[in-house]
Amino acid sequence: MAYFLELVINGALTGLMYSLAALGFVLIYKSAGVPNLAQGAIVMLAGYVVWLIASFGIPVYLAIVLGAVVMFGFGLLTERILLRRMVGQPIIMIVMLTLGLEIFLRGFGPGMLGAAPKSLDLGIGLAPIIIGDIFINRAYLVGGTVAVLLIGASLLFFRTRLGTKLRAVSDDHVSSWAVGISVERAIGISWGLAGIAAVAAGTLWGSVQGVDWTLSTLLFPAVAVVILGGIDSIWGVLVGGLLVGILGSVIPGYLDSIVGGGTRDVVTSLIILLTMMIRPYGIFGREDIERI
Amino acid sequence: MFYRLAGVHHTRYETARALWPIPADRKQVIVAGLIALVAPFFLSTLYLGSYMLPWLIWSSAALSLTLLMGMAGQLHFGFASVMAIGAYTSIHLARLGIPFELALIGAGAMSAVIGTVFGAAALRVKGLYLVIATLAMQYLVDWVIINVPAISGGAQATLRTPEVSFLLFPIESLTSRYYLALGWAALLAVFLMNVKRTSFGRALTAIRDKDFAAAVIGVDPFRYKLMAFFTSSFMGGVTGAMLAFCFYRAVTPEQFSFNVSIQLVAMVLVGGLGSVIGGFLGAAFVLLIPIVLTNFVAGLAASGWLAISSNLLAHVPLMIYGALIIGFLLLEPLGLAKIYDNTRKYFLVWPFRHSRS
Amino acid sequence: MRKFKRGLLAVGLLAGVAFSGVAHAQDNEPIKFGLLQDFTAVYTFVSGEYNQGQQDYLTLINEEGGVDGHMVEAIVRDTGNEPQRGIEAYNRAREEGAILVDFLSTPVSRALVDRVLSDEIVMITALHGRGDASAGETFPYIFPMMATYWSQATVLAQYIKDNEGGLEGKKIALVHIDSPFGREPVPVLEDLAEKEGFELSTFPYPSPGNEQSAVWSEVRRFRPDHVMIWGAGGGQPVSVREAIRNGIPADQIYSVVWLAETDVENVGADVMTGVKRFEAVSTGTDNPILERIQETVIDADLGAGEADNVGTTYYNIGVATMAVAVEAARLALETEGAPLTGPKLKAGFEMIKDFNAERLMPPVTITAADHQGGGAGRVSQWNGEAWEPVGEWGAAYQDVVQMEIDAGAKAFAEGN
Repeated sequence: MAYFLELVINGALTGLMYSLAALGFVLIYKSAGVPNLAQGAIVMLAGYVVWLIASFGIPVYLAIVLGAVVMFGFGLLTERILLRRMVGQPIIMIVMLTLGLEIFLRGFGPGMLGAAPKSLDLGIGLAPIIIGDIFINRAYLVGGTVAVLLIGASLLFFRTRLGTKLRAVSDDHVSSWAVGISVERAIGISWGLAGIAAVAAGTLWGSVQGVDWTLSTLLFPAVAVVILGGIDSIWGVLVGGLLVGILGSVIPGYLDSIVGGGTRDVVTSLIILLTMMIRPYGIFGREDIERI
Repeated sequence: MFYRLAGVHHTRYETARALWPIPADRKQVIVAGLIALVAPFFLSTLYLGSYMLPWLIWSSAALSLTLLMGMAGQLHFGFASVMAIGAYTSIHLARLGIPFELALIGAGAMSAVIGTVFGAAALRVKGLYLVIATLAMQYLVDWVIINVPAISGGAQATLRTPEVSFLLFPIESLTSRYYLALGWAALLAVFLMNVKRTSFGRALTAIRDKDFAAAVIGVDPFRYKLMAFFTSSFMGGVTGAMLAFCFYRAVTPEQFSFNVSIQLVAMVLVGGLGSVIGGFLGAAFVLLIPIVLTNFVAGLAASGWLAISSNLLAHVPLMIYGALIIGFLLLEPLGLAKIYDNTRKYFLVWPFRHSRS
Repeated sequence: MRKFKRGLLAVGLLAGVAFSGVAHAQDNEPIKFGLLQDFTAVYTFVSGEYNQGQQDYLTLINEEGGVDGHMVEAIVRDTGNEPQRGIEAYNRAREEGAILVDFLSTPVSRALVDRVLSDEIVMITALHGRGDASAGETFPYIFPMMATYWSQATVLAQYIKDNEGGLEGKKIALVHIDSPFGREPVPVLEDLAEKEGFELSTFPYPSPGNEQSAVWSEVRRFRPDHVMIWGAGGGQPVSVREAIRNGIPADQIYSVVWLAETDVENVGADVMTGVKRFEAVSTGTDNPILERIQETVIDADLGAGEADNVGTTYYNIGVATMAVAVEAARLALETEGAPLTGPKLKAGFEMIKDFNAERLMPPVTITAADHQGGGAGRVSQWNGEAWEPVGEWGAAYQDVVQMEIDAGAKAFAEGN
């Protein structure tokens, strides 16, 4: 039982860590309707940026704040320079553009700052939190808490005046223009916010595994989380993350020793397939009504 | 100038319906075909074996995928796994002593069946959700290949292709392998160009544009989507077998990893969705540009023009490659095929400019 | 400013190579080695330092007058771990006259085994590629030349047997990445478990290994006496951390060769104290070759990268691979004469006897039958500041390893 609980708790926390990477994806998709395949690379870049700032001797928590500012600016710029020029083009080409951006950043980050993994020490202790026979991973606990806070903040943000504008934009670009909302600005801001979410993901994952290009592979668990939860739902990020994390931890925890191979990716894949057969738009996703 | 239209009269429906009604296009195709045919005689082993041959095979893969993605509008992010199924099936069949020709068909059939099963599972969903369903296929197939030693070939996970012959020609020398790959690529190109003109192709296009609307006019989306998955996976399976027998000749699971799927999608998109010439151009871009850039940058560095650290040096090609993708898409979002098309249209009315579209 | 300096360094190196080439090229053809490695994808954790070590050693050899007056020229290209790019780079290097290639990428090496064998070009696969290529008769042109993963597992087991109170009745957990590389030690360890009477349990974690918490919950409940971690890159610090977090004492953690300074920095130098790893080449600058590199190459601004990397684990492995290769070239030139070709270089490799690169590595003897060179290594331990050897150079249970090699080679010879 303790084993089961430990798997559930640690799984839930890792799932929330994935949610951090997924949050930026949803923020952009929600407002701009662009599936940003470069989000993984942006997470990587954020990790590098925080590391770079910290390497000048600036305390790491201040570096995170500065990193957030830099990445907010980076998000704004990316939208302004690249994405805005693609407005109105087929969505699949915009996807391709983000893939190009991903490749570029994957070359740029490690190329400029060195490909060997960098260490990012947040000062989170290594000793686990022990409750009975359950060991809880302290780093993941911090990550999970940050994820919940950020997701909560995003939910609240969408209730503010600016957030309401963003929601209007996510509903319909043309009608938003009609009522005087600056769609461009709203989309720009959502890219900036995605940059900030990337700082959280990049820093926390970077402290766990080191900052190098492999941070950009976080995209795929993040996409799984997003699809499961619903691609345009903040709640979906939370629930999807928890589900992917818990199932991806509990089932392999019992199955691996029987099968004799790592089953996590297979289990997650199957779960995703099944979810989509039952709920094609994800758990919290908005079902689009198609008109002819 | 080149595309002189004056004097080209179509007096019969057959000529008007021909694949290339304009003589200049026909000539270009003939020249390209001739160059491809005599390439083994003037290209060195380096360029034939590591540029032309892989380019043709990857073009075949891009063409297979463009049927599904471009014509039927169904995204597929696990196409490398389809090719993997084909490659492994063909090797195991050939090892059992089954003639290579049949092994190729078997490879296609196996890929088609498995690909269609996943396609059927994924058909409830569209667009981005389809992406993740096909991604799941990639992970599942990878996992099975890696975890079943009988498929992957034991502890070293490497399977070498047995010696085979195709229609009595032994597929051993580089030249014979090149011609086989060329034949397959040409076959696919001709097939794709013609399929657009059949009722099947038109039905796919209708579904791509709006599947509900297609249903209203009597095209069964479910059936045609499945057929698209079937056809595309069949071609992908055979291409996988070609890749194994003609190019790698030793198959490992990494050759069909997730990255390859992404590269294939990139080939189709950069080339231009649903376009045959786009398939070739896209494959050339995605496959060869990184190689060319690596050599170019290394050459620059060796001649002292680029004085940077070796780490940055290794990453510069990646940056340029990403920037090129971005640049091309900003310049022409519809892909390289559209750039070709624009050029062609420009010369079609040259020296006038008015009908540039 | 540092960037600029590095740039200058690169120019210097290039100029140095170019001029030294010009100076001696008239009478002596240069020997070309193709170092076609993965600098941008999976192997980035090692290839930077590794390749720097290789280039610096070759520069040292050239500065000292080359091999019998022949300069050694490195052709360095990135393959991005993609087989098709590896094939292109290989064909190009071969046209440029390379007689030795080193890919440092298992997928690329595997894809090229057949080509290398038929083209008669030497491929060194130190610490990657197929372990069964140690069978020299089946793989005449492939030289693992350092302990294979099988030998690494046996050396670690032998260490536990000799220094940790025997193997009998112990519980050993193998926590590995779920890939062919991660599974490679499993058969050897299973044989040993039967032979020595310990209990082995394997715990695979999914690639890329940045998240392993579920696996370690299971490991903790297995209550192992010793843990072997078998991964590479970003998964390794995660493994060490998770192990310690789950109450496994640091000095009961044994790692495959891929655990180095960057991982220490990542985990934290004090947390890491006590962790042991297999070592194929000694680490640090306390060695005549490295002192000469420092003097002739680094101080003269001819280095291929940051001077801080000199003496790190992977740098020294790079130096060692080139030391063996250059020694082989020297022997080949001595007995077979110039110009050097693939078959001559192969013969040179097979003449290497008790070569230890001035104590940088265990004595290696490569024969026509044994391309692994003995499979020796040692165990070293992180003492808080450096990797400190805690055992002598030596090989262990080579009979068990040989069984695996023979089985693999037999399958290859039959067409697999």
